[in-house]
Amino acid sequence: MNSRRSRTWASVAAMLVLVVMIFPVYWMFATAFKAPGDVLSATPQFFPWPISLDNFTRALGGDEFFVYLRNSLTVSLSTVVLAMVVAVGAAVATARFTFLGRKALLVVLVAVQMIPGSAMIIPLYLMLRQIGGLDFMPGLVLTYLTFVLPFTVWNLRGFVVNLPIELEEAAMIDGCSRFQAIVRVVLPLLAPGIVATSIFAFINAWDDYLFAYVLMRSQQNYTLPVWLVSFSTSNQIDYGATIAASVIFSLPVLIFFLLIQRKLVSGLTAGAVKG
Amino acid sequence: MRADRRLAYALIAPAVLILLAILAYPMARLILLSFQRFDSRSLFTGEAPLVGFDNYTRVLTDPQFWEVLARTAGVTIVTVLAVMVAGFGLAQLLRKAAGWARVTLLVGLVLIWAMPMVSSAIIWQWMFQPQYGVMNWILTRLVIFGDLSAHNWFGNTFEALTIIIVMVVWKGLPFVALTLYAGMTQIPEELYEAAALDGARAGAITRNITVPMLAPIIGVLTTLQVIWSVNSFTPFWVLTQGGPAGGTTTLSIYAYVKALSANDYGAGAAISILTVLILSTFAIVYVRRLSAQGEIS
Repeated sequence: MNSRRSRTWASVAAMLVLVVMIFPVYWMFATAFKAPGDVLSATPQFFPWPISLDNFTRALGGDEFFVYLRNSLTVSLSTVVLAMVVAVGAAVATARFTFLGRKALLVVLVAVQMIPGSAMIIPLYLMLRQIGGLDFMPGLVLTYLTFVLPFTVWNLRGFVVNLPIELEEAAMIDGCSRFQAIVRVVLPLLAPGIVATSIFAFINAWDDYLFAYVLMRSQQNYTLPVWLVSFSTSNQIDYGATIAASVIFSLPVLIFFLLIQRKLVSGLTAGAVKG
Repeated sequence: MRADRRLAYALIAPAVLILLAILAYPMARLILLSFQRFDSRSLFTGEAPLVGFDNYTRVLTDPQFWEVLARTAGVTIVTVLAVMVAGFGLAQLLRKAAGWARVTLLVGLVLIWAMPMVSSAIIWQWMFQPQYGVMNWILTRLVIFGDLSAHNWFGNTFEALTIIIVMVVWKGLPFVALTLYAGMTQIPEELYEAAALDGARAGAITRNITVPMLAPIIGVLTTLQVIWSVNSFTPFWVLTQGGPAGGTTTLSIYAYVKALSANDYGAGAAISILTVLILSTFAIVYVRRLSAQGEIS
């Protein structure tokens, strides 16, 4: 078989697959930028022309959107900061020290990430109810730590393991204590890992629907996903505005993934080598 | 050395304490709850008598539980098979396509991967909206499916489940395809060249080189996909809320509805524990695998 020709065929097939698969993402943007009258038309309009920002104006209209945006940002950022504060120490400890129960801890960190959210939310709801923590942002942050913290420790640990230990040893030969070596050598080198892990942790919290839906009952405490879904399941649904709001909600995540796209794939490759 | 150990404990302590409070304690509560009668009255009185295995007997003798379990198994098998087979095909395409086509497809896949689950569910709901949804229009033009204008996809179980599964597969494909593709790039090119010299056909090369070389990755991916598929909540909840008439209710939705909608927290806890027990067989496989790779050491 002619390998040149098979390459062409594979490229054509790849493009066809791409067109079909990317369609929902395209349709989200296309719908959002249509004039409101063109959103609900019996014959779908495949290109948003004339482009209109009317759907966005309605999605952002009133102060509601900004309340939910602020809630989402507050909860997600607090979760990330709290998780990072405790996770860095834990990551260094599990990567660099041997101590009793270390292996068990690592197994637990992996295993708990497989517990369904629908199982965790039952006791979490009852516990928060007991202490009056329902409908209360710090309560939601605590529940987010249940999935963000194990992920964060595990991920950061991977970054620490990959730092050459010789650097710390050299610092200690130069008179640093073990702790000083960690603070002065490991932490600065860990910065990219901390940034990357923080962003992934942020996205995990940002994307959550279940916990916020169960715990945040009054409307002024909704996060963006809860609001979006309540918007989309109401009887008088304004599709144009809902989809425009989804665009705004998704955009930060889409942009971030595009920026790190190259690293993402090479990171998977690094993981695959060990397979 | 002793100072080192003390430092290690000091570094790990905050994380361990928090994990005990927010994970170990709730899990213990969940287990206890599955042995208690805890209903809407208990919410106010705080009284929840121990009832032994009553919740488990109630759940296990309820035909609905077995229906939900069978549905969850069916949905999981179809989803995981589809995502693995299609993911493998996509990975092959990525490997064989020319550079520009590969990069374009990679970017597209990354975008789908990045889509938040809630936005994805909302956009799929909109695409399959009966009157104005773009899918009914396209499918009607394709003729083979007949006239689907104003067809309601969420009105019957089979069609609603189909759409949810297609959506979940679509959302899961990028991760599987990119991971398998990453694995393929690690297979030495000489193997393929040698096979080509021996006159092996494409199918034989896939069967005898690609699949065996990727077996460990395929194993890990399948395990993860099973766990994620069983745990999946948001797509089901946003698209159908488990309906029509409970027809798209899987274990996650079932536990949630029992506990937080019907206020039968004991039964909800029992269903959750049973789910975790079923999943733990897969989790053990995954942890073993990580252990063998030296990730846990």
